Amino acid sequence: MCRYILNIPYNNLIVAKKNSRLFMPDQIKLKKYFIFIAVLSWGLLVGSTIFYSATHGKATPQTQLADFLSYALKAIFVFSVFMVQRIRVQNYKGLDLLGYLWKLFFRAGITAYICAVMYLGYNWLKPDHPEPNNYLLHILYAVNFAFFVYFIGKAFHIWRVLILHQKTKALMLEWKIFEWALFGTLILSLFQFSFLDFIFIPLQPLLAIYAVFLSFHLKWVAYITGGKKWRVILLLLAILASMGIFIQVFISLNNQLTVYNDFLDNPFIRLTTLFVLVYPAFSFLVALFSLPTASVFEQKRSDLLNFQRLTQLIQKGEDKPQVFKTFFESAVNASGSDAAWLELLDEEGAEVIEFINIQEEQLQKIRSEVQNAVGHNFDYVNNNLDNSQLRRLNLPYKSIYVTPLRAAQRTFGILYLLKEVEQGFDRETINVIRTFVSQTNLTIENLRLAEEALQTERYKEELKIASTVQESLIPKTFPSDSWFEISCFSQAAKEVGGDFYDFLQLSEGRIAIIIGDVSGKGISAAFHMAQMKGIFHGLMQDDLEPVKFMVKANNALTHCLERTSFITSSLYIIDYKLKGIFFARAGHCHTLYYNSMTEETFYFNTEGLGLGIIRDQNYSKRIHNMHYDYNPGDVMVIYTDGIVEARNKNQEEYGEERLREMLTQTYHLEADDIKYAIVNDVNEFSQDMPIHDDQTLIVIKFRNVQPNFSA
Amino acid sequence: MKITQEIKDKTITISLNGELDASSSVLLDEELSKPEIMLFNKVLVDCEHLNYISSAGLGVFISHLQRFEDAQIKLIFFNMQEKVKNVFEILGLDLLMTIVSTYDEAMTVSNE
Repeated sequence: MCRYILNIPYNNLIVAKKNSRLFMPDQIKLKKYFIFIAVLSWGLLVGSTIFYSATHGKATPQTQLADFLSYALKAIFVFSVFMVQRIRVQNYKGLDLLGYLWKLFFRAGITAYICAVMYLGYNWLKPDHPEPNNYLLHILYAVNFAFFVYFIGKAFHIWRVLILHQKTKALMLEWKIFEWALFGTLILSLFQFSFLDFIFIPLQPLLAIYAVFLSFHLKWVAYITGGKKWRVILLLLAILASMGIFIQVFISLNNQLTVYNDFLDNPFIRLTTLFVLVYPAFSFLVALFSLPTASVFEQKRSDLLNFQRLTQLIQKGEDKPQVFKTFFESAVNASGSDAAWLELLDEEGAEVIEFINIQEEQLQKIRSEVQNAVGHNFDYVNNNLDNSQLRRLNLPYKSIYVTPLRAAQRTFGILYLLKEVEQGFDRETINVIRTFVSQTNLTIENLRLAEEALQTERYKEELKIASTVQESLIPKTFPSDSWFEISCFSQAAKEVGGDFYDFLQLSEGRIAIIIGDVSGKGISAAFHMAQMKGIFHGLMQDDLEPVKFMVKANNALTHCLERTSFITSSLYIIDYKLKGIFFARAGHCHTLYYNSMTEETFYFNTEGLGLGIIRDQNYSKRIHNMHYDYNPGDVMVIYTDGIVEARNKNQEEYGEERLREMLTQTYHLEADDIKYAIVNDVNEFSQDMPIHDDQTLIVIKFRNVQPNFSA
Repeated sequence: MKITQEIKDKTITISLNGELDASSSVLLDEELSKPEIMLFNKVLVDCEHLNYISSAGLGVFISHLQRFEDAQIKLIFFNMQEKVKNVFEILGLDLLMTIVSTYDEAMTVSNE
């Protein structure tokens, strides 16, 4: 079950991957266009700047147009760089949060240092040329600008990822409003109308406040764990330093150059810069000040992970030692214990299976003290061992927590945790340990159930084999002759049953038929049934008369039947030459008979004790030889009590009378059809009730036309 | 299956109520196996409310029959329903065990 649930996100992942692959060519194409536009617009921007700076000071009619062109190129450049970064950052796959910061620093932050090196290089070469080289400065300025836009573009989108970490619908909306407002300012800045100032002057501070507000979404910092936190802090510092260098270079360049067109004089760039600067600054502060509390969260996280691991152990099909190991490690980890051990209890005593920092000698002393105090069915907490009996042991430990592992109302293990400080086990810690304990109990119980299920499966398999073996013991081919027909039905209530029947051809025209029912059901009954079959074939080789057979069989069974078991059986010898049936009934159901001469249906109500009830020579007094002369057309019905004791919903039994009635109505049919009629009637009577005893039915019909057997 | 006992002098009357099948016959076997049962002269089994007896139930009586006989304790069934009696008869147990119709009769039989 769980396996399927786990699979769902995995499948989704594949689907998502496929989708992104589908869109990939479009995105790559789009990115190429934007890169082309960015490079082109930047080239034109640089060209026009240099051109107009050469003619700087001369008021030409084209100035306004030139201004607009320059603004437009700048806007196009900024927009395309942002779009490229948007696509790039979206395609960063499989990165953790730290990875994003690395990307930002190594891809974009580095450019700040390149700019700084270029600027310093220019100043270093300057003494040779006392006149400031306006062209070179302009190019330097434009390169610095390009790198800066690249940097804020990437930073903007990476901050976007971080802000939207664990996003909500509301947060998505807040961010979208921010993006649209920013791009709105980019478009508005194209139009150099004076009235725009009235919009920008109140709008910019508002947007700035909004940017600061968004910068408070710092959830991602909480997900940075352990040593990574320091790396994040250092990276954030490096990124902030990059920003500082960029700004420093811009200020220095501005001092040396009367720039014709201040590239940074743009509300979009100003706002983005503010945002790009404020967000890492906040992140840095939050990361720094969360350092002292980080360990608490990390402990909780590791508790949760350990808990998950324990739960998953069952699904992975792990064995008990693995479960105990995981439990022990989790518990020691969660409590921060200085010493601990885990022992399993069985009839012979305790066996330590996991331990840490504890000597055998100490362990035994502590165990006996604790067991004397509380026994092994209860929790035991002592946070001040100096005030307890355990002080005598002179231990370095000041706190102890002992908790039993219980399943099926039995303690099967005990966990001991020790700490060197006082008050080491507060309520919080104990609750966590208890959660681990109950999960472990559940896991162990589940493992046991899984094992049991496997065992049951194995038994079922073996029962199936037994069933097949028994099936082979029941005769498949019936003796057929021209003077009688025979039809058999047999159905076991369980996989194996205690009913049996068999035939043996004694000589020509002389056949022995046996039917029997072993008391009880299931495997033991099946064994006795097999025994009885062996006794039948063994003894009847000597063509015994029925009573002699029963007495000998009773003797034989004395030694192999348990005291509470017995067998009921009837043996019939049908002799064609004598036209007679010789039989003995050992406690078995009465034989039903139809006499075609008198047209009567009746039971042979004879006496006879079951086998295995009296286990001495007295048995021969309790069994009698019977004889009956048959006529052509007579029908004999032999059955076990499963037939007459079949029940319906009202707990009524089918009974001998219904059976007799059925034969009265069907005696004229062939043996097969009589059998089917009776079986159907029994089934109809009991309807959907499960059969609770094995059912066997044999119908023998003496043919109307008897062949002439000459002796 | 409910099994109740009533003791009067040297006679114990065990009343069976319900169906004596494979599982309930274990309870009956426990009752009959108790050592104190050997202190009585007669063990009467009231079958008035015994609706069904399985081969396992019969097996319990059969297994204790010899033991009681050896200790000269009389085992007597009474108030037996017709269909239950039929089961005893088919198996031939009616000739081996004492089955009477009433409690009074059972008391007289055992006093013989």
